[in-house]
Amino acid sequence: MEGFTDALTFDLIRSGMRLATPILLAALAGALSNRAGVLNFALEGKMLLGAFLGILAAFWFQNSYLGALAAMLAGAMLGAIFAFVYLRYQVDLIILAIALNLFVAEMTVFFLRTMIGDVGSWSDPSIRQLPDFEIPVIHNLPFLGPILSGYNAIVYFAWFAALALYVILFHTRFGRHVRAVGENQDAAESLGINVARVKFFALVLGGALAALGGAFLSVGHLTLFTRGMSNGRGFIGLTAALFGFNHPIGALFASLLFGGADALAVRLQNVTKIPPSLIQFLPNVLAIVALVLVALRIRGSEALARRRFRQRARQQLARERANS
Amino acid sequence: MSDRLKVQLTEALLIPVLAVLSGLALASIFVLLTDVPPLRAYVELYKGGFSCAELTRCNLFQSLQLATPLLLTGLSAVVAFRSGMFNIGQEGQFLIGATMAAWLGFAIHLPPVIHPAFVIAASMLAAGIYGWIPGVLKVRLGVNEVITTIIMNNIANLFMTYIVNFPLRADTGTTAHSPLIDETARLPVFFQGSKWGVGFILALLAALLVYLYLWRSTPGYEQRMAGQAPLFARYGGIRSDSAAIRGMFISGALAGMAGAIEILGVHRRLLQGFSTGLGFDGLLVAILGRAHPLGVVLVAILFAGVRLGAQIGLQTSVHIPRELGGGIIALIILFVAAENFYRGWINRVKEGVKRLAARKA
Repeated sequence: MEGFTDALTFDLIRSGMRLATPILLAALAGALSNRAGVLNFALEGKMLLGAFLGILAAFWFQNSYLGALAAMLAGAMLGAIFAFVYLRYQVDLIILAIALNLFVAEMTVFFLRTMIGDVGSWSDPSIRQLPDFEIPVIHNLPFLGPILSGYNAIVYFAWFAALALYVILFHTRFGRHVRAVGENQDAAESLGINVARVKFFALVLGGALAALGGAFLSVGHLTLFTRGMSNGRGFIGLTAALFGFNHPIGALFASLLFGGADALAVRLQNVTKIPPSLIQFLPNVLAIVALVLVALRIRGSEALARRRFRQRARQQLARERANS
Repeated sequence: MSDRLKVQLTEALLIPVLAVLSGLALASIFVLLTDVPPLRAYVELYKGGFSCAELTRCNLFQSLQLATPLLLTGLSAVVAFRSGMFNIGQEGQFLIGATMAAWLGFAIHLPPVIHPAFVIAASMLAAGIYGWIPGVLKVRLGVNEVITTIIMNNIANLFMTYIVNFPLRADTGTTAHSPLIDETARLPVFFQGSKWGVGFILALLAALLVYLYLWRSTPGYEQRMAGQAPLFARYGGIRSDSAAIRGMFISGALAGMAGAIEILGVHRRLLQGFSTGLGFDGLLVAILGRAHPLGVVLVAILFAGVRLGAQIGLQTSVHIPRELGGGIIALIILFVAAENFYRGWINRVKEGVKRLAARKA
């Protein structure tokens, strides 16, 4: 019996790791654009486009890796279009994102209907799911092995992307520029940083990551596309980015938390009689709580900074008085 | 009319019109994929959404009925906009209002007129509180209201699904639904055979009230100032925080009113998957209507007609998927948002005209 529960727990953790992957990819995209000072609500649409084109390309090339790659390219292109319209015509970001999300949501179904003749979802038996594989050394570790190994390539890539993004943001010139632009655009501009170019690259890279998250849904996790498949994961990803304080590693842990909540919700649905609509509250309420916690933390650190500043000013004043 | 006002007015009219035309032009690329000539498709779209064969079979009336929730959610977005908030939670607030109305519609018994009035008021209160929450979170804690309202849309959707499947489920039919509301609670319709009814008048009334509130009352002025220039407002002694929160409450209440009217006037009961399709349309209406009640009224009717025309005109008559309607709306919004795109060559045209005039003189 004990072994059985253990297997179930591992199963739960593993499914959490899987469900965290699309959220993580969106969160990394969100963290990158947030660092560049662009609140990227269009992640949702980029993800949906990735899911749609990913599976179409997987079918076309009869290769799911090429499908994922095509999704990334499409996401990058959509990111480029988004960035171009935003930077060239100073369009309001939120409005632009909503229009883009609506456009992708409607037109994917439009193409589904005109080209394939299906209404709600599409799949083809010739499409292969991305295979899971083991990582040589890690796989044999006693406890961590089964948790960290045995996923498909997109899962590993997402972890790698979190690390890579950390290095890029905090240890390269481009990363410094990105953070400078996000923190104070005018100051960055006055130092000769090409603000538009930095934002453009952040959005293109973010588009590719988010679209790969979408492709994970359609060719990595399942092998089908359904209308509105991203189902709010882009927004949850953005929340995870904020919850992780726009730090790639923080976003990784936040995504694992949200993925875990998703997996737990699925599990509860299977083993209890609680209605699914109530269980699904869990990840959503968690997201709101996370946002409030972040806000409290930011507010707290601001208050602390203010108090420290006052204290220092008071000390300085006292010192000056003593001197005079 | 002063010159500046004239310029503003032409831009307020010209840009949406140009955006609609550009949206249709760009969408015709997608129409071409379906072997139907674009012009024919657009004629069908127009006929499906705005034509009126006879009183009992009138597409225009149906568009006006469909415009009612869009109009109210559009107003909801306007009030939030004007207090500097992006309320994307119309769908959630709409559902909270609808759920409340579906419950009170059969759970309590009141005489005619009073019953719907009471139900609408209660729905507005409930949805207002649902809009107030993200308002408070934003103003007091700085939590981004766009994200919270999107997540709260999910929560409201799940809540409605739960309510309609369990506590309020009427019978074990195929689609879960709540019991029919009382006769006394229903909002009357104008013509037999269509569902266009009193709700539309109430929505127009709401548009008038929103205009009077925002532009002809002190709290409304405070709210607009809080939205436009929070620091200036505070300097002038306006408590911009509470003005913004009030804006979110009113915004939620208007979306809740839309939900109540949908239940009392159209569906008469809550159905599973009830609001699918509303989405962010209210917000889009507010954007294209330039965040003004009059613009909202016009654009709500336009959008409702495009959606209906896409369904009856495009999908049924010429077999173009109705999703093209949503695609067209998205493109129109894109072009409106990119108004600088036009401003450049509007100015160029103006200069050209001036130069011509100068040459003649």
